[in-house]
Amino acid sequence: MNGWLLAAAVVLTGGLGAALWGVATGPLRRRAVAQNLATVLAGSGLLLLAQGYDRPSYLDLALVLALLGPVGTLVFARLLADDLAADPPRARAATWATVGVAAATVAAVCAATGPGRAMGKLLVTGALLIGGNLIASRALSGGFGGVRGG
Amino acid sequence: MIAVALLLVAASATAAVATRDPARQALVLSVLGVVLAVLFTTLQAPDVGLSQLAVGAALTPLLLLLTVRKVRRRPRREEDPR
Amino acid sequence: MNRRMRLCLVALGGAGLAALFTAAFLRLPAFGGDRHPYGDRAVRAALHRHTANTIASVNFDLRAFDTLGETSILFASVLGCVVLLRQARDEHRARPEPADVAPPVRRYALLVLPVAVLTGLYVVAHGQLSPGGGFQGGVVTATALHLLYLGADYHALERVRPLGAYEAGDALAVSAYVVTGLAAVLAGTAFLANTLLPYGTFNTLSSGGTVPLLNAAVGMEVACAVVVLLARFLDQAVEIEEDSGK
Repeated sequence: MNGWLLAAAVVLTGGLGAALWGVATGPLRRRAVAQNLATVLAGSGLLLLAQGYDRPSYLDLALVLALLGPVGTLVFARLLADDLAADPPRARAATWATVGVAAATVAAVCAATGPGRAMGKLLVTGALLIGGNLIASRALSGGFGGVRGG
Repeated sequence: MIAVALLLVAASATAAVATRDPARQALVLSVLGVVLAVLFTTLQAPDVGLSQLAVGAALTPLLLLLTVRKVRRRPRREEDPR
Repeated sequence: MNRRMRLCLVALGGAGLAALFTAAFLRLPAFGGDRHPYGDRAVRAALHRHTANTIASVNFDLRAFDTLGETSILFASVLGCVVLLRQARDEHRARPEPADVAPPVRRYALLVLPVAVLTGLYVVAHGQLSPGGGFQGGVVTATALHLLYLGADYHALERVRPLGAYEAGDALAVSAYVVTGLAAVLAGTAFLANTLLPYGTFNTLSSGGTVPLLNAAVGMEVACAVVVLLARFLDQAVEIEEDSGK
């Protein structure tokens, strides 16, 4: 077990474990935020795993998760808009902490990869992951103002 | 590593079963899908993990919530017909 | 049949299943061992046919007939959904009101949509090289299209989604798979045998003989099937309403 895998284990146990606790208990707003953060944490975990196993092709998983994870959160934000509007979620601290973990992960893996096409792919994945997460949390806290029947 | 992923899968699957409200269950289910993808990656099966991600991250919640919405809309209309 | 009797039956069946599972479990090879007779042969066959991703080789070459079955299952289930979720006689369509989406969310959806479609196509095209393939890429592409519904409204999605074309594409893709198989028969070998095309250079896009072709067919089939399936669900959830006063 090398350092990357150890880091992945820490991110997955600490981060995903906490997110799992958040998604399984509490009011709807907390669950939605936790689902959004779980995507980012799992994405960072997948990046670390790809680096730890030394398989660049595993990056595809993180890429697909970075694309589809926020889409999943948007689904919840849109179709649960009525329930969420009554009680909008606010979790600025947790969101920025998670984004920080993701950014640190991307930076570390980039530094280990070195410049090249692989690094470009990494940066795109990281940007999608972080940007998507921020937009999705924005959508959760009132992005779909007047959705009725749509 | 495999043990960590297995524990997470077991925990989220239990949580998914224990949740009663379908909308909240969909939230737990989407996290379960992501955790399963991590488990498949640790077991060196990225193809299966990719399938799980593609289906579990957005498609399953969308189908579930659309169904919930359709089912919920019907009784409301019977209560107060416009 | 009363409750007690049913419980007994369930217990009997469960016990049988548990016994069989236990018996099978005891004969399993140890976890993480280093003897993989099937794996070794599959890897050898994949390398012989210049397919870098052994999983793709197993799915679309060694067991291509299996995949044909899976493809048909998806096709048939989507067909069933289309029949079940059609507009009934006592229902009418209501025009959904346009949604009021926050500008950043809308911009994000429009920005990510092409990226996601491209990623889906990339996953399909590189199926024989890296993890992925027709199914995964097809689902990603189809999901990406629905960003239009999430980021704008249902009307915008309907405008770029000629449903008939997707239904035809679904059927065409399944036929393409079968035709590729039959081409091998016409060439004098077995159904779906990977002997038609040159194997190409290892680890390039055009390697693996018929694997990329079958991959593309499955990708198209899955993408069209998911779009059609989601369209039926969206129709039911968003547009179709039961006539009031019933």
